[in-house]
Amino acid sequence: MADFVGIDLGTTLSGLAYLRPDGQPEIVPNGDGERLTPSVVYFDQHEEITLVGSAARDGGDPERTVYQIKRHMDDPDHYVEVDGRRWTPAEISALILSKLKRDCSRLIGDITEAVITVPANFNELARKSTIAAAEMAEIKVSRLVNEPTAAAVYYAHTQDVNGRILVFDLGGGTLDVTILEVQNEEIQILTSEGARHLGGSNIDEMLLELYADQYRQQVNADLFNDERQRRRALQAAEDAKKMLSKLQRYTDTIGNDINGIARIELHREAFEKAVSKLLTRSIMLVEQALNGVSLKPTDINHVVLVGGSTRIPKVKTALEKFFGKQPKSCSNVDEAVALGAAVFAQRASHVREVCNQSYGTLAMLVNASTGEEAVRNSIVIAKNTPIPCSKTQVYMTSEANERFIEVDITQGEDDDPRFVDVIGKITLEVPPDRPAGCEVAVTYSYDENQRVRALVVDKQSGRSQEVAVSYRGAGILSEEELLKRGRALRQLRIE
Amino acid sequence: MFDNVFKSLKAIKDSFTADAIRRAEKRATAAAADDALPAGDGVFKPQRISRLIDIVQPATLAGPTPEEICGIAPKMPKQEIRQRLALLYRRYNRAASSLDPKLRHEAERMLDAIVTVRENVFGPI
Repeated sequence: MADFVGIDLGTTLSGLAYLRPDGQPEIVPNGDGERLTPSVVYFDQHEEITLVGSAARDGGDPERTVYQIKRHMDDPDHYVEVDGRRWTPAEISALILSKLKRDCSRLIGDITEAVITVPANFNELARKSTIAAAEMAEIKVSRLVNEPTAAAVYYAHTQDVNGRILVFDLGGGTLDVTILEVQNEEIQILTSEGARHLGGSNIDEMLLELYADQYRQQVNADLFNDERQRRRALQAAEDAKKMLSKLQRYTDTIGNDINGIARIELHREAFEKAVSKLLTRSIMLVEQALNGVSLKPTDINHVVLVGGSTRIPKVKTALEKFFGKQPKSCSNVDEAVALGAAVFAQRASHVREVCNQSYGTLAMLVNASTGEEAVRNSIVIAKNTPIPCSKTQVYMTSEANERFIEVDITQGEDDDPRFVDVIGKITLEVPPDRPAGCEVAVTYSYDENQRVRALVVDKQSGRSQEVAVSYRGAGILSEEELLKRGRALRQLRIE
Repeated sequence: MFDNVFKSLKAIKDSFTADAIRRAEKRATAAAADDALPAGDGVFKPQRISRLIDIVQPATLAGPTPEEICGIAPKMPKQEIRQRLALLYRRYNRAASSLDPKLRHEAERMLDAIVTVRENVFGPI
């Protein structure tokens, strides 16, 4: 049995690595002989079998195939319906994890516990869903670790570097930027910023538009009319992206049975122009990360590239221009996260992470100079606070004779309540006949898995209530359902 | 228009006294008549919510420019534009992961506008 296992549960590809007895991490291939498994699930119509991986991606009916479920892990209302059965994002992810566990166990022994990576900007719900997925797959999550942190751990492990490192992780679905400080064995994360829907698959979609435009010009018809045709064209666009990352020009033929075939010619210049907005967004995220910890580009000693899309030359040149130094690739940009997770499983005590989001409560605040009252998001735990941590803020009741104190738990650093999520609520009953101005202490605790708990204490009466955040929605399973579905999932034939 | 304001205040209503909410709603109603673009200085003014939503869902065919959407005045100094865009980017990048689907949708539109302004003013990457 492997003691230290790391899993990269990716948007487009997933991988499992373990730490060999000599302390070096190694990727464990799946049952199909592949080092990375496409994060795609196919539900067959005729046989009681669920396909995960390349077979699901390449051969299945798109209507019965689930792609990129990770993008929906933070959506409480998302579910996939197949043959009248509803699958939550956590369940689909559990199928992918089950495939990895079953296949890899054959090579390295039983896998019962693992570090699982998540994007730095994954919110509370998405983290909770990831843990639920692992539980259904019978994997105990020893820690959730942010993907760029795992990649940085791997980079530090293999390159023996010291100083401030910025990890630019352009994955299949998201971009994460993390700044950290490495001093010998010790790693201190300073900040992480993430951008949703900014990854390789967004670049593929841009290229698909170029394909569709050229096809329309030549054939005077649409390149695809259904999901199956669109998926094929998207795969061609992905291949084109890889080729244009190496060549200046790429030609391809593409078409469909109804409208015929067209010859597509793409130049790197046009490709770079098509993705320029995504690159601008990427650089703005880098600026945001630097601003968040009051650093300048020149304060960064190493810029490290992670994720398949960092192979695009324009990504490298844009970062080189911004930082004034050449970024370095994490030797294997596709596998670095899984490998780093395996290293992290052993060296977690040497890595100090920070809170990725601010947590607070909605409070009526009074402007001392103008007297104006306004409802604001009052932060209790600020983003970038080292974790685990616990912070308390004391508030006062505004009215006399209040019987219930209600505290909203917010996620997000914006002052404006409109731009934060209310992720929980605590209602505390207090004794009658009290004046205004009674003190209420709100304490938030933040654990190493970036999960939050809240405690509200009425100081006068001593009454208190503590909750972990829970969510409701069509895409959320209750604890009872989770156990039941986990049992059912383990009976499935997954190939 | 005001529905959005009051909807966003609904969660807040649960937490605070009726008087305080009435005062906030009164301010929001009065402020919503103001045509000023969102200032984006972080000071809470409920009317901003309705203004932003109005702006990204224009009633006229031409619609507002990305600069107008982002509240960039014609002669605004570049440093001020940079700060304004950084503030909006932080806000809407976060909003893109909101639990509220409407806000997520709005965030994608805003991020497009923010990037367009950035490229218009400072050039492409």
